[in-house]
Amino acid sequence: MSPGPPGRRSSLTLVASSADAPVGAERNTNRARDWSGLMARAQDGDRRAYRALLEDMTPYLRTLAARCFREPSDAEDAVQDVLLTVHAVRHTYDPGRPFGPWLVAIANRRIVDRLRRHIRARSREIELSSEHETFSPDAANFQCEDTAADAAALHAAIATLAPDQRVAISLLKLKEMSLKEAALASGRSVSALKVATHRAIKSLRKRLRQSSETP
Amino acid sequence: MTATRELIDTLVECATPVRRLRPPFVRAMLWLAFAGLVIALIVMGHGLRPDLALRLHQPTFAVTTAAALATGILSAIAAFVISLPDRSRWWLLLPMPALAVWISTIGYGCLTDWVSVGPEGVRFVDELRCLSILVLTSVPLTIALAAMLRYAAMLRAGAVATTGGLATAAITASALPLFHNHDATAMILIWNLGTALLITGITSVFGRRLFGLLAARLLASGTQI
Repeated sequence: MSPGPPGRRSSLTLVASSADAPVGAERNTNRARDWSGLMARAQDGDRRAYRALLEDMTPYLRTLAARCFREPSDAEDAVQDVLLTVHAVRHTYDPGRPFGPWLVAIANRRIVDRLRRHIRARSREIELSSEHETFSPDAANFQCEDTAADAAALHAAIATLAPDQRVAISLLKLKEMSLKEAALASGRSVSALKVATHRAIKSLRKRLRQSSETP
Repeated sequence: MTATRELIDTLVECATPVRRLRPPFVRAMLWLAFAGLVIALIVMGHGLRPDLALRLHQPTFAVTTAAALATGILSAIAAFVISLPDRSRWWLLLPMPALAVWISTIGYGCLTDWVSVGPEGVRFVDELRCLSILVLTSVPLTIALAAMLRYAAMLRAGAVATTGGLATAAITASALPLFHNHDATAMILIWNLGTALLITGITSVFGRRLFGLLAARLLASGTQI
């Protein structure tokens, strides 16, 4: 790792990739000057210079991102995010000023934003493991005796419902269709399905309460 | 890795020549010139208050208006400077001295009016004309500022939105006493503070969202071939 170009000040610093490590500060300053020149040409529409700049700075951005993300895929996403931002705001670069602080500030911003999003997502989401996986058929979902007994009681209660209510419950609650899908499948209107579901739940609640009260 | 290489290919393909931004001071001056134009147009439409010359000789009025104007100018410069990624955040402090003077004169004006006139000195009058001037001044300035600083969406959205909001608020507040002809000084001063808080608050809250939308659009348009 070698020092960055003069003028840098952010917490993330301009570093060389491991292959360039022994080359030293002079080489790094030259590189920053090169990048500055390449960006100036890229701003004028020179695509070869732009490609050279993006390809040259990608390993460096990867090094920066790898310090903050454990997963290589997250680090790569951050690199792409920085590249996109550099592209979108390339007109804000003033060739009279050093390139390093400009790039590091953008990389810093994007990486910190991404880290914040990660932390926020991690606090709200739980990663699914194979234990959480399940299948829609009843057999996969009711394994213990109590739940199996409850399921049997529920199915028995559903069987006693009026046919229109039974269809509504089956489509909307058991098969988890949307109202539109259920209306298409049953040939009934959405409002009729809503009414039937409401009545079905009411009578199911009544029947299940009765069956739980009777010993 | 392949995805990054593909992304670079896409970015290179849509690398059209871009016009470099002018220095931030020049851009701030352009925005301030636009603000001057908007205020001049409103002066032509509404006319100046009749006792403006007299009021300008009153120290509190003159200092408040000057401090508001200075806050507006310095905030605008700060907003344009910090919108650039490689500029120091210390620029955020630029408008602070003027802002401190402005707020202290507002507080002093409120206090003296309260002491000399009592609660009557601080009263809110249903003043639609005032509100219309406020909207007519602040809305075009906010739109112009958002358009000129849209690239900051991906960089320092919050700081730029708040500083830009303060600039708009201060310029609007400094323009308001040119038209407002109430004698209740505290009323004008509260208008000043209220305007500043309202505009800064709105731009700070909605500016982030607006900048969020702008960022998404910029990123999307940047990679369109």
